[in-house]
Amino acid sequence: MKANHKGKVIEILGGTNLQERLMNMGVYVGKEVTKLSHIGLRGPIVIKSGRSNFALGHGVAAKVILERE
Amino acid sequence: MIKKIYLIGNPNVGKSVVFSRLTGVHVISSNYPGTTVELIKGYLSLRDEKVEVVDLPGTYSLEPTSSAEEVAVSLLKEYPKNEIVVVNILDSTNLERNLLLTLQLIEEGFPTIACLNMCDDAVHRGVHIDIKKLEEILHIPVISTCAVTGVGIKLLIDRIKETVPVLREKLSHEERWKEIGHIIEQVQHLEHRHHRLREVLEDASVRPLTGLLMASGAIYVSFKIVRFIGEFIINKITDPFFYSTYQNLLEKLTIHWQEKSFLFHLLIGDLVNGKIDFKQSLGVLTTAPYIEFGMVLPYVISFYFVLSLLEDIGYLPRLAILLDNLLHRLGLHGYAIIPVLLGFGCNVPGILSTRVLESKRERFIASTIISIGVPCVPLQAMIIGLLGTFGGFYVGGVYLVLFSIILVLGVILNRVLPGYSPEFLLEIPPYRFPPVAILGKKLYFRIKSFLVEAVPIVLIGVLVINILLYFKLFDIITSISAPVIHGLFGLPKEAIVSLVIGFLRKDVAVGMLAPLGLSAKQLFIAATLLAISFPCIATFIILWKELGLKDLIKSALIMLGISLIVGTALNFVVLR
Repeated sequence: MKANHKGKVIEILGGTNLQERLMNMGVYVGKEVTKLSHIGLRGPIVIKSGRSNFALGHGVAAKVILERE
Repeated sequence: MIKKIYLIGNPNVGKSVVFSRLTGVHVISSNYPGTTVELIKGYLSLRDEKVEVVDLPGTYSLEPTSSAEEVAVSLLKEYPKNEIVVVNILDSTNLERNLLLTLQLIEEGFPTIACLNMCDDAVHRGVHIDIKKLEEILHIPVISTCAVTGVGIKLLIDRIKETVPVLREKLSHEERWKEIGHIIEQVQHLEHRHHRLREVLEDASVRPLTGLLMASGAIYVSFKIVRFIGEFIINKITDPFFYSTYQNLLEKLTIHWQEKSFLFHLLIGDLVNGKIDFKQSLGVLTTAPYIEFGMVLPYVISFYFVLSLLEDIGYLPRLAILLDNLLHRLGLHGYAIIPVLLGFGCNVPGILSTRVLESKRERFIASTIISIGVPCVPLQAMIIGLLGTFGGFYVGGVYLVLFSIILVLGVILNRVLPGYSPEFLLEIPPYRFPPVAILGKKLYFRIKSFLVEAVPIVLIGVLVINILLYFKLFDIITSISAPVIHGLFGLPKEAIVSLVIGFLRKDVAVGMLAPLGLSAKQLFIAATLLAISFPCIATFIILWKELGLKDLIKSALIMLGISLIVGTALNFVVLR
């Protein structure tokens, strides 16, 4: 997904620990998030969820599946 | 009967600032998650009774997912619920995410009081919260505070007594978020605002191109400011004092003393061309105070000024994002930049803050890299002060060598050690501009702790060294180590004394090199060796505590090995 696009989380792959951590931070299935930027070369991705910004490592970001709006 | 008060809340909502306000105990607070890695306790007078207040590490939830969160949650269960009060601190600008923990606390039956912190920032950002309504919905006291300025703290203290457990149905995670959505709709009113400069800068600093530009700019300007303030203090304040006032005073006092007497040797040291030389005399009253106050302190002030500013504005997590790529190659993730930067001030807090990293493997890599490749301010100030007289080229060379060592060592450790480097998942705080008073207080406490820790050790250290030198007790070590020091590193054999002293304090150790009359190349090698060989005793103890004995020995062997290789290589290969 490109920068500044909105999307809805439809699935979070990976272990329950990751799902929990994201859930605790307010990123869960059904939540709407905006991608702000992506640092190239497999760098982290910055998303906006609610009023907070989060940086997700590349591997984490790959596990959060979004549906574009 | 209230026995304990716990402060709990999401990371970076200002728990430590509230804590300082409640107890009067100063704690370092910054604008990034994970500033508080230790448990900090203080006391609050409540109805003429002293109640212990505990500042817990930040946590998003009562179902812990990291070791710091586990600590917070397990402590809450130490006392029966009717003997404690939980002060839940929330970030008013981000109520939605913060309410998860609040609901969990209430559901678990903790007597909770909610403290909506950073109310001033919320107003700036156009976030309006109906406190009364929130109180009605949650059935617990809700107070709006702004801890940096102290607004609302008195009310918070008054209402701590009112807290009682309330009954609330336990929900699942999904239900809870839904519930929070309803609550937010009722109590929060967002004023629509155009993007302000602050938000534009916040966004720009995490985009690849503008972010890198801003990072290079920020680093360049930081260096410039550190040097400018440091040199300004030295040239305008400390040097004039030492070279005119203090030198005259000492010369008048000692005019009748015998130059070769024991006491003269201890206090004043050796005269250079019949005069006191603050850099070379090595006396308790001459070189010792000059090193600490005339060379190191000015840079301690300027370094911590810039670091505190960057911390409080909230720039560091953004730097972490940009450096994530690079640090991944070293087996770390971007957030490791924070311990490393703190390590540039003093290795001890740097290594302590490696607790923000998740795995033991990362903590080992980060701690080892910090103690080998990151020189502390006192060491850097001395290197600049002595080696700088030969030209900035050599000083730059030391940094270049250290930086290369960090890269090579990190890559090797990442390959050799079992395990993998975890991914990074981090909340990025908004930019905030701290009131000058808060910044000043933080700077004051950092400088004070430097003075309290460093000055006695330096004075006693120089005294002991002088006694040992006077009775020629170093001669045995000197002759044993001569093959390595002279043969491999190309240094005069007396330089071992300095390397040994390096275990005590790095700044004094560099000072010991001054009277040896080293060439630029020799001083360059000796200074580099002091940086990479054994860390000072304080760092050593912290390494032991944080890593355990086995990993400490591993780390120490790496240090010795690298010192030997790099010292020899610099002597024979690089600088012929």
